[in-house]
Amino acid sequence: MGFLRFTGFSVIRAWQGFWRNAMMSLATTATVVLMLVLLSGLYIVITGLNSGLSFIESKVGITAQLVGKPDQADLTPAQLNTLIAYTRGLPGVKAVDYVSPDEAMQRLKEVYQSRGQTLDLGNDPKNRITIYASIEIQLTDPNMGESVATALHERSEVAQITTKQDELDKLVGVINLVRTVGLIAIALVGLTVLFMIVNTIRIAVYSRSGEIEIMRLVGASDSFIRWPFILEGILCGLIGALVAIGLVAVVWDPIQPVMYDVFKLPTVVGARFLATLSALLLAVGLAVGAIGSWISVRSYLAA
Amino acid sequence: MSVTTRPMTSEELAALASGREADAARETVISMLDAGVTYPNGKIALSEVDVTIPRGDFVFLVGASGAGKTTFIKLLIREVQPTAGRVVVAGRDLARLRRREVPRLRRRIGIVFQDFRLLPAKTVFENVAFALEVTGASGAEIRRRVPMLLNLVGLHQHGDHLPTQLSGGEQQRVAIARALVHDPAILIADEPTGNLDPVTSWEIIQLLIQINVLGTTVLMATHNQEIVNAMRRRVLALEDGKLVRDEPEAAYEREY
Repeated sequence: MGFLRFTGFSVIRAWQGFWRNAMMSLATTATVVLMLVLLSGLYIVITGLNSGLSFIESKVGITAQLVGKPDQADLTPAQLNTLIAYTRGLPGVKAVDYVSPDEAMQRLKEVYQSRGQTLDLGNDPKNRITIYASIEIQLTDPNMGESVATALHERSEVAQITTKQDELDKLVGVINLVRTVGLIAIALVGLTVLFMIVNTIRIAVYSRSGEIEIMRLVGASDSFIRWPFILEGILCGLIGALVAIGLVAVVWDPIQPVMYDVFKLPTVVGARFLATLSALLLAVGLAVGAIGSWISVRSYLAA
Repeated sequence: MSVTTRPMTSEELAALASGREADAARETVISMLDAGVTYPNGKIALSEVDVTIPRGDFVFLVGASGAGKTTFIKLLIREVQPTAGRVVVAGRDLARLRRREVPRLRRRIGIVFQDFRLLPAKTVFENVAFALEVTGASGAEIRRRVPMLLNLVGLHQHGDHLPTQLSGGEQQRVAIARALVHDPAILIADEPTGNLDPVTSWEIIQLLIQINVLGTTVLMATHNQEIVNAMRRRVLALEDGKLVRDEPEAAYEREY
């Protein structure tokens, strides 16, 4: 009963305090929203890149470029079959496909087409690009790539080996960069938000200094004096988080196709992702509100 | 500490029954033994103060500005801590009192000031209710106690007024009602008539006497010679932080 009364008292006073200096409280809440929207953006992008990463990991394969002159299949069919049979026998290999220079050229053209461009090399021999025959190997387990590559390297039919490892490394690098830059940006915004909350609560404490003095004199306990202010800061975080969650929910459907286009993957879709993100925003909003007001109460409400 | 042999009054018995043994059994509500306060900057505000105030006393605290009256009062409500000696208020040794026990002490002490210190945005009723609300009283308790207290100070018809709509004397009455919300053992009045005209001042004094008669110990710091001389109550006089006079039925100034 006493605790209920205390909670009721604190919540009502926090609510009154929030609207008592509405401009300041709303400005602070807006910075909370800004921070959480940034955080959402980072979370979505990182999740998208990560699922791109796992997609590539799952499709990781090896391309072995075969010996010979450009645009010519130098190996005899028998040699080729031997090589393919050998490769199929290696542990960790799922499938082996032969790609002739013509096929490779066709693929290249398709890539250009998908970008809306045309690959027109004309008839000038200077414009010729060299395309070699190759075999493409799919793996059952990405971790076996190393041993398969080593085995193929020793074959005389193989000129050069490329794996998707480079792409993977590049993507990992991009993810790390985005994450680092994003977190630094959010940390800076977070500091601003914290400062805003500390200031808002400081002003709230000053504007209630008369009441606080009376409370002390009539024997109000510290919790009655402090908690309304802490809750007022938490309220800024809570309202900010709810607004941010609302914004994310509103833009969620429109950004889905964009997400798919950018990351080529539908993996981020789903209510669970949205729920996780909402929980994250709520937790961060409440935490920053609580920490900011706690700092303020500790500093400006000296006992 | 004096021990009495008279039978307990019904009020004391009621207090005992409601768990306030400490106050009922001990007749002394304020006791200072060689008490002193030296501020961190080295200023000696009070030193070697020995005083015992029994329950139900009406005591004037006099002395020039800077003599230590304010520190004396701050010491009682534990706004400052004794740096020497022993101070016991309402059964609590203030040197040993933990920080979180201070609110409980303050509920045993009511205090009013020269400038009333009412909350201007709150009505008379709300000002008094606030003191109950912030100490966790229930709505039912507030609705029961506040009208009773406003009745005691003669303002039961002014509950809806804002402090600014009241005269100085009426505002001080509201402050007194607020100081009494927790039924304190001691009422401290720090220059309660400092802002009031003589007639209103006497009305406030009458009210304090009435409260004193009802059993609350009253300690009033004042510069008002006329009142002290007319009342002939116990007088504590401070000078340069020392208690230079402690006289029953005395006047504002030494008479011998």
